[in-house]
Amino acid sequence: MRLTIEGIGKDFPGVTALDSVSFEILPGETHALMGENGAGKSTLIKIITGLYRPDRGRLLVDGQPVDFTSPRDAIAAGISAVHQERNLIPRFTVGENIMIERPPTRNGVIDFDKVHAEARKFLDMIDPSIDTRTEVRHLSVAQMQIVEIAKALSLEAQVLLLDEPTASITGHEADALFAVVRRLRDEGKAIVFVSHKLEEVMAISDRVTVLRDGRIAAAGEPIANMSRGKIVSAMIGREERVAEMGTRAVDRSKTVLEARSLATSFGHKDVSFELHKGEILGLYGLVGAGRTEVARALIGDGKVTAGELRLNGQSVTIPDVPTAIRRHKLGYISEDRKAEGLILTHPIRSNIAISVWRRIASKLGLITRAAERKVADPLVAKLEVKTPSIEQAVGKLSGGNQQKVSIAKWLAAGVEILIIDEPTVGIDIKTKTAIHELIGEITRGGVSVLLISSDMPEMITLADRILVMNDFTLVGTIENSRRYETMSREIMGFIHADAEAGHAATHG
Amino acid sequence: MKWSLTHGFTMTLSVSSETRARPSWLAEQANLIGLAAIIILFWVLFTSLAPGFVSSFNLFALSRSLAVDIVIGFSTMVVLATGGMNLAIGSIGVCAVMASGFLMQTIGLPIPVALALALLLGAFLGWLNGFVIVRSGVNSFIITLASASLFLGGMLILSKAQTFNALPPEIAAFGRMRWWGFVSPLLFVAIGLGVALIILFRFTALGREILAAGANARAAELSGVPVGRAIIIAHTLSGALAASAGLMLVFRLGAAMPSIGQDWLLPSFLAPVLGGTLLAGGYVSVVGTMLGALLVTTIRSGLLVMQIGNFWLQLFLGLILLFAVMLDRYRSVYAERRSLGRKNAGRRA
Repeated sequence: MRLTIEGIGKDFPGVTALDSVSFEILPGETHALMGENGAGKSTLIKIITGLYRPDRGRLLVDGQPVDFTSPRDAIAAGISAVHQERNLIPRFTVGENIMIERPPTRNGVIDFDKVHAEARKFLDMIDPSIDTRTEVRHLSVAQMQIVEIAKALSLEAQVLLLDEPTASITGHEADALFAVVRRLRDEGKAIVFVSHKLEEVMAISDRVTVLRDGRIAAAGEPIANMSRGKIVSAMIGREERVAEMGTRAVDRSKTVLEARSLATSFGHKDVSFELHKGEILGLYGLVGAGRTEVARALIGDGKVTAGELRLNGQSVTIPDVPTAIRRHKLGYISEDRKAEGLILTHPIRSNIAISVWRRIASKLGLITRAAERKVADPLVAKLEVKTPSIEQAVGKLSGGNQQKVSIAKWLAAGVEILIIDEPTVGIDIKTKTAIHELIGEITRGGVSVLLISSDMPEMITLADRILVMNDFTLVGTIENSRRYETMSREIMGFIHADAEAGHAATHG
Repeated sequence: MKWSLTHGFTMTLSVSSETRARPSWLAEQANLIGLAAIIILFWVLFTSLAPGFVSSFNLFALSRSLAVDIVIGFSTMVVLATGGMNLAIGSIGVCAVMASGFLMQTIGLPIPVALALALLLGAFLGWLNGFVIVRSGVNSFIITLASASLFLGGMLILSKAQTFNALPPEIAAFGRMRWWGFVSPLLFVAIGLGVALIILFRFTALGREILAAGANARAAELSGVPVGRAIIIAHTLSGALAASAGLMLVFRLGAAMPSIGQDWLLPSFLAPVLGGTLLAGGYVSVVGTMLGALLVTTIRSGLLVMQIGNFWLQLFLGLILLFAVMLDRYRSVYAERRSLGRKNAGRRA
């Protein structure tokens, strides 16, 4: 089935989200759809799947114009989507979820044997290992995605949209998913693959379409003709700029944080490393390797059950987060800015000053706006937070500016060690560079950074040394040579070697 | 910790609490001005229908019950600030009432000592709520629903539901005291508490921490705010305020009665929600709560003067709460649209 997008335009009050977008999705291809946040990808997907109607232009299926008024119309036409958020019912079984749209009945009641038999048929096409009688809530995120794909297949989808399918699954699971994608493509299905991860797109897609500011920046270019650089410049309208990190003096004679054979309540075993003064120490690992949990254990948001934590040479135990911040000058920036990092409804002023409220209170315990501004104003200026006012609610800022506010909060608190978890997740490429430079800048000011990231290029740009974590233990430490090819090979080597060893241990 | 009236509602609230921007100064004032306009409307209406509404006798009665309504509203407001609820305020209030009666009448303690101990008891019961909520991690709705019954039951067993009506005469005398012929000094006590709460939430680390905990407990925790402590203190404060409201009624009635507090729940939510305090937590309006209480008292008093029965009052208050909740929902949707709408159109991609 051929899906033609012809001159599609969509306006929202005050903004044109899409403007004369045209390209074609062909049967038997994996078609990547790329673009920065705000480029119009989601709007386009919503139009293709019948959630929005275009203001201009039309969609054609096999040359015939179609008009979708609801997602049902799109599904009936053979277009299904697996969205970022899961659309399964956790307490229903896999089979029930797959067959939910049209359950087979006998005498007016649902025939469960048939439900599972039918569901089995579709699951077998992609992953026979999932039991149709398992409740969905017991599955991993990756398995849920497989179930959603099976559900789409059961609806006889010819065009399958995968929106950021690898955002929350591990590397291995992603590999398995890609195998499924390739098989479906070879069977003649069209796969539309939306992803931010360039490496993935380069590896799996046949053609790529890039959106920029609601317009086409590259339409269905064969991936063979595209390089990483070309895609990026199509996305941002110019060449990718690598962060200027400048010279940074790392004083390796001074160890500010040392973990000695730490074990934690999260299940870490024997984690040992040293963080030096002014260093950016990378902590790389796949999603689920236990990196964020290390951070949480370090700041007292989890328990260290064995081993020793030393800060500036002193053995310490950190019972809770306030102690980590006030007594040990240890701060943590969560990967989940909205849920864990910032108070979106409160102004920039108090989001920055929150870490020092107790310190800036007067003798009577009063905090004035002026006192908060005295802390926040210079940081907002220094970090170039773009906002009309410091009283602006943080929720109204862009992701990049929100991240700057998170960093400002810790600079205000005067932390000496900052753990930064996925600093640029959900931040577009332009702002990413600014955040990278900012992280370099704060280490020049004497702050030591433990950087957690799944973004390999980011890791190699920023880190001085890289710790590699797999399955809650450290499997290697590498001095960063800043050469992407060799570094990424070495890092993945550690992870795979560990996975192999684990495999050999359990099966051999 | 987030909980609201029903399940469906919980969902909408938690969604909006993420995206909702704090109402801007002007929007907030607009809400207060709107509320004041409605109040004036009711005053004009009641005065024209029943001139007795503005008699000094009625104004005095109104000022006394207003004082109680304001403090009841505050009691719920400080817990709403944390994103939680306190359904036990009536029970805490009546426990303090009966304790004060017992201490004054049976033990014969001096009035100030008895009142202080009763307040302390209220604070302690509130602390107990907060402590159990934080320790167990169970949401405040369930815990305070249970403790409401527990406290009330305990009080009834201990007091055998006997009214203490031989209190020192100074109590009733203070309750009858009028300033300028039509204002009860109790109202000034309530206003004084309001000023203290404004200072707490606007200018102290503690108040700010309570609001931060309510707006986003996890983010506050990771920013070094002792969230558990903030929640416990908010409940302690709520308990002390509930006790204050109960004691105000003791002054008004001149007796400590076990039936006090049973009809507090509705007005306790009405006042803050009408006044713009967010059910989802993280934002309070002290002045709004006072105006909200004024509206409730006005309607109650107006219906009384017009000799319309109590049944109608219940119906009216129910309608108004529903209206206030719709308003809360509307405010969140409106704020969401304003903050995200334009940007979102392009940004959602």
